[in-house]
Amino acid sequence: MKKYWEVFKITWQQLLIYRVNFALWRLRTILQLLLVYFIWWSVFQSQDKVFGYTTASILTYVLVAALMRAVVLSTRVTDMIDSINSGNIVNFLIKPLGFIRYYLTRDIADKLFNIGFYIAEVSLLILLLKPPIIIQTKLPVLIPFFIATLGGLVIYFCINFIVSLTAFWVENSWGPLFLMSVFLESLGGGLFPIDILPKPLFDILMLTPFPYLIYFPAKLYLGSMSYSEIISGFSIIFIWITVLVALMRVSINAGFRHFSAVGN
Amino acid sequence: MSVISVKNLKKYYQVYQKEPGFWGSIQALFLRKYYNIKAVDGISFEIPEGELVGFIGPNGAGKTTTLKVLSGLLYPTSGEVRVLGLKPFERQKQFQANISLIMGQKNQLWWDLPAWDSFILNKEIYEIDEGIFKKNVAKLSEMLGVEDILKIPVRKLSLGQRMKCELIVALLHSPKVLFLDEPTIGLDVVAQKNMRDFIKEYNEEFRATVILTSHYMGDVKELCKRVIIINEGEILYDGSLVSIVNKFAPYKVIKVDFEKEVDVEKLKEFGEIEKYSGNFVEVRIKKGEVFATATKLLSEFDVVDLNIEDPAIEDIVRDIFNAAK
Ligand SMILES: Nc1ncnc2c1ncn2[C@@H]1O[C@H](COP(=O)(O)OP(=O)(O)O)[C@@H](O)[C@H]1O
Ligand SMILES: [Mg+2]
Repeated sequence: MKKYWEVFKITWQQLLIYRVNFALWRLRTILQLLLVYFIWWSVFQSQDKVFGYTTASILTYVLVAALMRAVVLSTRVTDMIDSINSGNIVNFLIKPLGFIRYYLTRDIADKLFNIGFYIAEVSLLILLLKPPIIIQTKLPVLIPFFIATLGGLVIYFCINFIVSLTAFWVENSWGPLFLMSVFLESLGGGLFPIDILPKPLFDILMLTPFPYLIYFPAKLYLGSMSYSEIISGFSIIFIWITVLVALMRVSINAGFRHFSAVGN
Repeated sequence: MSVISVKNLKKYYQVYQKEPGFWGSIQALFLRKYYNIKAVDGISFEIPEGELVGFIGPNGAGKTTTLKVLSGLLYPTSGEVRVLGLKPFERQKQFQANISLIMGQKNQLWWDLPAWDSFILNKEIYEIDEGIFKKNVAKLSEMLGVEDILKIPVRKLSLGQRMKCELIVALLHSPKVLFLDEPTIGLDVVAQKNMRDFIKEYNEEFRATVILTSHYMGDVKELCKRVIIINEGEILYDGSLVSIVNKFAPYKVIKVDFEKEVDVEKLKEFGEIEKYSGNFVEVRIKKGEVFATATKLLSEFDVVDLNIEDPAIEDIVRDIFNAAK
């Protein structure tokens, strides 16, 4: 256990060393947040209700979506790609160190760091703009929200892990990863709540893992989902986690086997 | 019992051939022509505890491949490998905790952090006891003379300093078996010497079993009593450094300084001329004929100085490789 605590500390040290990078990254997320925030705000200047959302619910959605970005979408798993490409991955293979646990630890360290900044930024935003927002206090709503967030986190971790592992076979894994992040961001509900899409499209999307990264937890927080929607959502999360974890393990073994056969 | 035991080890890399260009890439998607690169092709050796063995061969000989198999990174194509009685590729904790692999061109230190932080991480990874950790860091950094750079970010260190820290971090858990792949590559002469002195000292002090690879004879000559010479995946020689001379060089070298310039034509009858510069000559002579030849040289020319030497090991090894081609 102690070794992972040390991994955690080293990850934070690195974040502090790359504070300019990190600051730029935060700046990007703040700008993104402000952009989405003001687009929705201007839409609501002329109307009270759009797609069934009130000003308060949509702005709350935007802020919670930003939280999901910090909690679910921040990751260090993709460092693996460089590590495989440079051959430094051998340092893992020759040490008594759990491969998944190592990256999970680094992810959690990164997430906590991001969450800290998120809280500071959003508090400031709320103080300055005083938007009408929904503060959720009901435990029966908050508990499913937390569980769904954890689910989203695991799904995102597995997807990133599997895509990063492709570096064992292909030379440029950053390409697919970039493409994927665009998909995840929009189809996951980072820019708008996806229930404003046409119903058939929305229904199909809900079967994919993407909406469970941002949309589903954010929507749970708003407390406006029906029981049947909640139950089917959690079932799909469960199924995806099972599939993705299995796939991740298979890919790791395949990756290591490939590496040990071809040497890089 | 041997600490390292290798029996008929083969490691073939499967690679596929691609026609150049766009169509080649399309073709390769459907139809790949595979072929094998025989990086290691049936080698066997045993290494007892505490021995320091030099593994030499030109680039592409299969040295790195062998070390990767021995440290559990590569799965052998065939053959049997045991290190500390275990199969490396199973990567058991007990195996991993007792070996270390240092590659001159790979690094495990965290680039942006001081070496010290990497030490601490390895301390936890290998579950090294606090007291032993402190003792090992103190001892190793003193041996290498790097006590005062451990708190400086690694990226600010020179290559030599970095390699020393790489050595320390790889040795903190007191591995019983150490694989060193070209540890002196890219270092300047002084740093190379420091590195060699350290490896020798470490081997003696901790009774660690060490395999050191190099494409450079200097490393091995100073360090290893036993050398394994490998070329194109096969072992050409395995034995003591001194008996290489006996086995592969049944000749001596006579070096003569003359009073006056001597015609090279007149010298040709004495043996194979290696070097000639007017009043200096170096000739190769069969072992049995050394005395007769030296006497004849002394009587026929005005000789200032005459030396009879064994050929340089570098030259012998070069000959071995050339002959193998
Ligand atoms: N990952 C790989 N895939 C294909 N061929 C490889 C790979 N690694 C090494 N080789 C080939 O195997 C042979 C032995 O390489 P290597 O063990 O690195 O030699 P050395 O360390 O003695 O220079 C060389 O011909 C090299 O090109
Ligand atoms: Mg090599």
